[in-house]
Amino acid sequence: MSYAYLFKYIIIGDTGVGKSCLLLQFTDKRFQPVHDLTIGVEFGARMITIDSKQIKLQIWDTAGQEAFRSITRSYYRGAAGALLVYDITRRETFNHLTTWLDDARQHSNSNMVIMLIGNKSDLESRREVKKEEGEAFAREHGLVFMETSAKTAANVEEAFINTAKEIYEKIQEGVFDINNEANGIKIGPQHSPTNPSLPGATGSSGSQGGGCC
Amino acid sequence: MDTSDSECFESADEDIQSDEELPKKVFNKDCQNLLKPNPNYELEASETLCDPRTEESKITRQNDASIKLEIAVKGDNESKNSNKASHSSSETEDICQVTSKINTINVIDDSKPVLSRKENVEGDLCNIKQVEQETVKKSRSCAKTKLGSKISKDTVKFEITPEKKKSKVVEKEKLHKTENNIISSVQIVENEKLKVDNDDQNLWDDEELDWGTETKLESDAKHNISKDNTEEYKFQPSPSSNTPQFNPHIGKKSENQSDNWGAWGSWGVSVLSTATQSVSSITSQLTNVIETGLGAADPEELARIDREEKRELKESLGKECEQDIPSEAPSVGFGLGNLVKLVENTGNKVISGGLDTLETIGKKTMEVLQEGDPGLKKKRAFLKIEQNKPVLSQILREAKERAENERNISEEVYMKKMKNYETLFDDHHGLVHLEALELLSKQCEIKLRNLQNSLNGEQYTEFLETMDQIKELCELPDEEEEDQISILEIREKLKKAVTEMNVQISYDKLMTNWEESEVWLNALNMNICDEKELHQQAIETLAQLTSLAMEQFHKIGELLLIKDRRSTADEADSLVQVTTTLTALIGIAAAKFSEKLNSKICESTNKEISGLITNVFFEAANSSSYIQDALQLLIPVLQVGAV
Repeated sequence: MSYAYLFKYIIIGDTGVGKSCLLLQFTDKRFQPVHDLTIGVEFGARMITIDSKQIKLQIWDTAGQEAFRSITRSYYRGAAGALLVYDITRRETFNHLTTWLDDARQHSNSNMVIMLIGNKSDLESRREVKKEEGEAFAREHGLVFMETSAKTAANVEEAFINTAKEIYEKIQEGVFDINNEANGIKIGPQHSPTNPSLPGATGSSGSQGGGCC
Repeated sequence: MDTSDSECFESADEDIQSDEELPKKVFNKDCQNLLKPNPNYELEASETLCDPRTEESKITRQNDASIKLEIAVKGDNESKNSNKASHSSSETEDICQVTSKINTINVIDDSKPVLSRKENVEGDLCNIKQVEQETVKKSRSCAKTKLGSKISKDTVKFEITPEKKKSKVVEKEKLHKTENNIISSVQIVENEKLKVDNDDQNLWDDEELDWGTETKLESDAKHNISKDNTEEYKFQPSPSSNTPQFNPHIGKKSENQSDNWGAWGSWGVSVLSTATQSVSSITSQLTNVIETGLGAADPEELARIDREEKRELKESLGKECEQDIPSEAPSVGFGLGNLVKLVENTGNKVISGGLDTLETIGKKTMEVLQEGDPGLKKKRAFLKIEQNKPVLSQILREAKERAENERNISEEVYMKKMKNYETLFDDHHGLVHLEALELLSKQCEIKLRNLQNSLNGEQYTEFLETMDQIKELCELPDEEEEDQISILEIREKLKKAVTEMNVQISYDKLMTNWEESEVWLNALNMNICDEKELHQQAIETLAQLTSLAMEQFHKIGELLLIKDRRSTADEADSLVQVTTTLTALIGIAAAKFSEKLNSKICESTNKEISGLITNVFFEAANSSSYIQDALQLLIPVLQVGAV
């Protein structure tokens, strides 16, 4: 489970646009039509390989409900990438994009890569938002755009991996300071010769853990 | 002739019972390949005896669904016992009892069909068809000429009785017998012919020549045999009798060979054994052909051989037909022998041909190799250089050792990784929940600081007091309760605390997780379980429990923040309860695992084990500190609610 980098992603967007389903499709490769409302934030993780480097994507799947808005804002900090999701069958979710985008820009670092995602592309018959509109919005705000279907898994991998590629490129370009964890990028644990059976070797890499004994 | 024939029949009949079973297996394959029903027909037909009115032909499908056509001729001649159906060529008593299952049919058929059929089974269906056709024709012709018009349809009852009814059929047969009915089972396709042959070769004489020519013409004859036969026999349907129905099913069902060898007992056996041998030899030869044929055998050659085979087969058939051999066995043997030889010869030809081809290839290869390198000097020199290098096997052995070492190292690394508490804690999202809680906490702190900065004078001091009060509320009791609390109590306490906090979370998952671990521990066979495995499980359990605890703390924080009406004191009290309870649970878990590890230490004073136990307690302390830290992180959340 060693990885070269860890990227923190955050998924945002109105409630019911399929954020949790996208995550489930990406991490578990399955689709769950009925999903419990997300409380605060849920997590998922998956390893991907870019440029023959193992990269762990740690995905924060936030609650879309208005009630959690203030809470989820605090999670934006330290995300390297964000998936801004709307539902192509519900125009209001598209209309709220500006609010979400402002929120994201305000509470995260400026280099965060944002991917605009029009989900539920399998429901073509109920489409309310044209693909061109999504493309236009993305162009206007400097986002990457993609239509996905968490149900059919169409473009789901691509959405997550393309975002990771973009982040990786930014690292290569030196845009991201990988030593600053506020950027949402962590360098993976080196092959530390820790012997777990010896006490003391398990220092707390967790922010608060250990230390008290 | 009469005497010899009849003798043969009688002797064969006597053996029927004992030999019935034998043919089955041998012929199963054959049957499968036979598209057509090869019913055994007991053709009892004497020209003189055949009285259309009295004749009854029944097709009974015995055990194996072979069709037995019994033509019971209720005729003037009642003296014939069906069992002993003596067959004489004489006109007065031409009672042919041809009892043949599909299989037997073939065998009986001059043994030509048998052989040919087996061959066919192995490789050539066409042959089978031809043979069958031939037999059919023979039978037809026989029927025409000798038995011919006298068997009327009405009298011939073709009853296809399922296997279950076999016994009944038998009974019926017996009845017929007693009534002096001549039961002839006519295997229309081939059996008839067999019978005729067996019974009386003379019958065939006239027709033999025709067969050869006619066989080719009748490719479809098989399926129609039954109809044709009936027509040719000129059976005159009687009101009560069914027209003969030879269903294709019959053929299929005939897979199971009937035991009914009829009168062919010992004779059949010998034929069978010969046939079996020939088949096996053919099989092996065919295999050889196939093998050698890869790349070597010329398809045209094979085709030619095949044609020859067929031709010779026909010839031999013709010969046998032509020969009026009183006793059948010799002729059968002769035919079989011929066929076997034929096949062997063919096989040999093919094999030798294949070998020749191989030889040619080898010569050619050598020529190419030696081209421009007489005596292969260069190539030998080239190979010698290789000899100076280490032996290949040695290299391989070294490589294998290296690979094994690497694997061992990687396994060790893997094991270390597996045992790493931090990794496990991360894997179960404990770390990220803690991180998220931290973010929440920071957010609340910022909020509080902003508020604090905006306050002045009394408000400010009041605010600070409140903050301190909440902090005090969240202080954990110095001494943890030493007295062990049960899992049940823990569950109760957690439930109560959650209710007081008035948030929708549950510790069921966490408790279930522990209970499962406990079950695993209790069921553990200490003799089998390795201490490292046990230690790994302990770390895993601790990491899992702690992760779940983190998740709930995180959720509590989130839910408290969006809660409408806050009651900070209750919340703080509940959180303290939760924290102490959870740390107690961690303690119980660690103790339980250590206890198990300790039992290992008694068996073998292993220093490693005590190290493992220490580590379990260390990680348990780690878990507890995570839990207590989580509580600390929640304090700002509580404070925000209080102001």
